[in-house]
Amino acid sequence: MTPERFRTIVDAYGADPRRWPDKERAAAEAWADLHRVEANGLLAESAGLDAWLASHTVAAPERAFVERIVAAAPARRPVKHRGRLWWQGAAFAGIGLAGGLAGAFAVSFFVLTGTPPQGHESSSYMTSSFDGSTADWSGE
Amino acid sequence: MSERDPDAELVARVGEQDPAAVRTLVSRKLPRLLALATRMLGDRMEAEDVAQEAFVRIWKQAPHWKEGEARFDTWIHRVALNLCYDRLRGRREDPVAELPDEADPQALPDMQLEARVRDERVRTALAALPVRQREALVLNYYQELSNIEAAALMGITVDALESLLARARRNLRAQLAGSGFSKDMP
Repeated sequence: MTPERFRTIVDAYGADPRRWPDKERAAAEAWADLHRVEANGLLAESAGLDAWLASHTVAAPERAFVERIVAAAPARRPVKHRGRLWWQGAAFAGIGLAGGLAGAFAVSFFVLTGTPPQGHESSSYMTSSFDGSTADWSGE
Repeated sequence: MSERDPDAELVARVGEQDPAAVRTLVSRKLPRLLALATRMLGDRMEAEDVAQEAFVRIWKQAPHWKEGEARFDTWIHRVALNLCYDRLRGRREDPVAELPDEADPQALPDMQLEARVRDERVRTALAALPVRQREALVLNYYQELSNIEAAALMGITVDALESLLARARRNLRAQLAGSGFSKDMP
């Protein structure tokens, strides 16, 4: 580290060693320790400007602005939603299938036995129309 | 580049449209991009437009992002700087002509008023710098990019960056000299 290089570093990066180039930081600090008076003069001049620069702040983004940015991002469909639809479809199909089987069973039972399901409250009216014809078929 | 990009994993998740990753990336990068654009342009509204446009490009690029070519943070700085330059080129008026609003002395306590006045002085001094000097200072001092990263972003050597930085600081000192600048802390 030369005096010229130390001055160049401080002129460019300021007085805070954390802002100095990584590869030269240790050498520059060592030089400053060995040449305290000279180094302090240069550092003090730069520290004043550093403090001015640090006093300039930029306000954080407002919440509404953050939400606008987030809302503009492409979003995938939630997996949960798709799963619920699948189960809803299966449930409808199951109910439909069960209804169809029950209907088929009832029809086939009626055809095989020739009698409507027991406990039908309208049985008297059903038999009154076909009583005669049943006797005629047995006669054949 | 030997070190891993600290944003790589997050960007990959953004590319897969993970909503939590999107929100994390916005909270991590939006303040940085907004600060960069605000200091480069000296105008908050324009800076918000630049940040918004930069994120549109981020959303497009994230699914195709490959680690290794450049750090993601460096790339978004490049995008935002290009957008800032597009706007600066479109300006005819010198931004220095836009003086900061005067603070109402009755409205703020002394400490707040002093901080606000100081903030505005620096903002005005930054706006008066030649664009390349301002860019060098903003990237290195405020965005805390290393000298190598800042020089690479600007397409110049580290020596040239140091020259720009030194001139920027000299100019700022000269401008702030009339604002109570001294070697002491403000």
